[in-house]
Amino acid sequence: MSEQADIERPAAEFRAQPLLSARGITKHFGNDGGMFSKASAPIRAVEGVDLDIASGEVLGVVGESGSGKSTLGRLVLRLIEPTSGTVSFDGKDLCSLQTGEMRRFRRHMQMIFQDPFSSLNARMTIGDALVEPIALHLGLRGQAARDAAVGVLERVGLHADHMKRYPRMFSGGQRQRIAIARALASSPRFIVADEPVSALDVSVQAEVINLLQQLQKELGLTLMFISHDLSVVEVITDRVMVLYLGRVMELAPTESLYGNPAHPYTAALLQAAPGMISVKKHILKGEIPSPANPPSGCVFRTRCPFAIDACAHTVPTLRPVGPDHLKACIRDDIEL
Amino acid sequence: MPLTEQAVETAARRPVLSVQDLKTHFMTDAGIIKAVNGVSLSVGEGETLAVVGESGSGKSVTGLTVMRLLGRTTARVVGGSIEFVDRDGKAIDLLNLSDMGMEKVRGHDIAMIFQDPMSSLNPVFTIGNQIAEPIRIHQGYGKKEARGKALDLLRQVGISDPESRIDSYPHQLSGGMRQRVMIAIALACDPRLLIADEPTTALDVTIQAQIMALLKQLQAERNMAMIFVTHDLKLVDEIADRVAVMYASQVVEEGPVDQVLGHPRHPYTKALLECIPSRRDAQGERRQLHPIPGTLPNPLSPPSGCRFHPRCGFAADICIASDPELEAVTSDHVTRCLRWQEVAL
Ligand SMILES: Nc1ncnc2c1ncn2[C@@H]1O[C@H](COP(=O)(O)OP(=O)(O)OP(=O)(O)O)[C@@H](O)[C@H]1O
Ligand SMILES: Nc1ncnc2c1ncn2[C@@H]1O[C@H](COP(=O)(O)OP(=O)(O)OP(=O)(O)O)[C@@H](O)[C@H]1O
Ligand code: SF4
Ligand code: SF4
Ligand SMILES: [Mg+2]
Ligand SMILES: [Mg+2]
Repeated sequence: MSEQADIERPAAEFRAQPLLSARGITKHFGNDGGMFSKASAPIRAVEGVDLDIASGEVLGVVGESGSGKSTLGRLVLRLIEPTSGTVSFDGKDLCSLQTGEMRRFRRHMQMIFQDPFSSLNARMTIGDALVEPIALHLGLRGQAARDAAVGVLERVGLHADHMKRYPRMFSGGQRQRIAIARALASSPRFIVADEPVSALDVSVQAEVINLLQQLQKELGLTLMFISHDLSVVEVITDRVMVLYLGRVMELAPTESLYGNPAHPYTAALLQAAPGMISVKKHILKGEIPSPANPPSGCVFRTRCPFAIDACAHTVPTLRPVGPDHLKACIRDDIEL
Repeated sequence: MPLTEQAVETAARRPVLSVQDLKTHFMTDAGIIKAVNGVSLSVGEGETLAVVGESGSGKSVTGLTVMRLLGRTTARVVGGSIEFVDRDGKAIDLLNLSDMGMEKVRGHDIAMIFQDPMSSLNPVFTIGNQIAEPIRIHQGYGKKEARGKALDLLRQVGISDPESRIDSYPHQLSGGMRQRVMIAIALACDPRLLIADEPTTALDVTIQAQIMALLKQLQAERNMAMIFVTHDLKLVDEIADRVAVMYASQVVEEGPVDQVLGHPRHPYTKALLECIPSRRDAQGERRQLHPIPGTLPNPLSPPSGCRFHPRCGFAADICIASDPELEAVTSDHVTRCLRWQEVAL
């Protein structure tokens, strides 16, 4: 069941033919017929999300911990199966692909993780870590594979000398460069970067952000950039999706989202973020409710300073409030 | 001029803690790690001093040395002094205090909130127990009174319906709630000085904003001195009166927040500020971030002269040859740079 009504998208011209599309994508955990699943309600991690990402676009995904960002990222890469809904990549329905076909598709879609320390195998040299996906996805062997590996290493600002070294010999920023190189090794078109700079110091963070931006431009990469750091997201994205309890609260071009947030949750996030907006009108109270038992109507209503009775009864649909700017809130009469 | 007003204000604040030229070294198999090497800091009543710096710069070790919580076998305080002024205005030399005396200081005067709440809360005791216990030991309350005080504290740190939470174990609480419990434990002794070591780093911005507002409010109510350790410069502006910037085991710049962040006088402070993603400029253009070239020095073999010289855009020969001392920029703003007067930051 998708709770979302037909969405009128004043679709930007360039998204007429998106590289990646999701329709009504939903993930419930813990309701897989397992031993204990009947007793407890499923965790509604992602609930009826529609999404189009254009080729070459950088889409940010923000929201508090537990809002479903990582689950959404894994769903669009089909690293996990959706409970319902569809994902298509370059016009092809990913869910209809057989395992073998999906494996061939993998080379186009990669992921970068938060922690460069645990995402690299400590016992593999950097060279081996890069040659592996090159052999698997591009079918290159021997010297050709090693040359390709040096090629990606140089792309991320490292050298051939680094091939024989182990991850522990690198600093945090260098390790994240290596993780990026590994994701780039199969020449993907689409990358989900899940909190790629969150574990890094600011000076290193700046280095990795610059690298990602540069690679995105040079290679025309399409990126889904997941982060809870709103200032980083503002710097790197073209458009931003705001998630709360697995639902989209607002979706808008970066400038208009930051300059003119339309949803009370987005406004609250921006006010809470240090250094973003100095006037803290509404500090959100409480914490994100359990996704196993989300509030009725608007899921944000239990923390929304503007909630009215109607919010408990109506599930807000995502609707346009400006050019390419959508929000899921029933009220238009509020001053954020 | 606001500058002089501030100077007067700072001078008028009664000092609570004064750290001079502190040196804490670790004796490891690989060699000596000079984790804190000549750090000076001070904080007064009702004042918040932020300590910022990248990972490994010595922020936590400074806090732990003040609390005397480092193991004596590997950690040695090889120099400097730590003076704490108690409620009666009596100066106490913390480094030469007996273990029992120090125990009393930790129970009555100085409290610390640790970087990782999960590892500093005891998993086998309820949170009520962990808050009430120090109250019973140090303030001589009975069991029932201590529980009542624990409930009060939980309420004060913003845990609604504390009766239903007080008998929970740490793992049953969310990260934000655990951090509130840590704050409740720290406040139980009504400390004169609170050392908060990255109290919000692991939390969502929304919860972070709640905890920051809470700390500010509690500090104002109690006229507490606070040392707020963070690696996030954006938080400094929100909470602190003064800031000390650490690099490679030393304070490289210290002063009022608006001076240090608004007109940095040390190339490292300036470089850190340029790493922060900021709003777009007036034309709506994305601002280019400027990472600091190179990496933090190896703590086993820091560079000669100015420790920042391998990464500093203004380094000259003199920076390799001589060790910079802290120099006064104004009466309450210092920098550890040989060339601060020449370079245009
Ligand atoms: N494999 C799983 N089994 C059960 N529940 C899960 C699983 N993965 C995620 N969840 C739950 O789904 C919800 C969304 O989790 P998700 O990791 O997508 O959030 P997130 O927005 O990425 O959070 P964070 O910022 O903490 O990374 C959470 O309630 C989480 O506990
Ligand atoms: N118990 C210890 N034994 C040996 N070295 C230590 C010990 N504790 C800390 N160090 C070293 O002392 C230096 C300073 O560490 P400290 O924990 O103070 O850094 P920090 O500024 O708090 O960093 P972070 O932002 O990562 O918390 C580091 O080089 C660290 O590796
Ligand atoms: S629908 Fe109601 S509760 Fe939801 S965001 Fe809008 S005003 Fe708030
Ligand atoms: S002393 Fe020299 S190297 Fe050090 S910060 Fe100043 S100019 Fe840079
Ligand atoms: Mg996540
Ligand atoms: Mg620390």
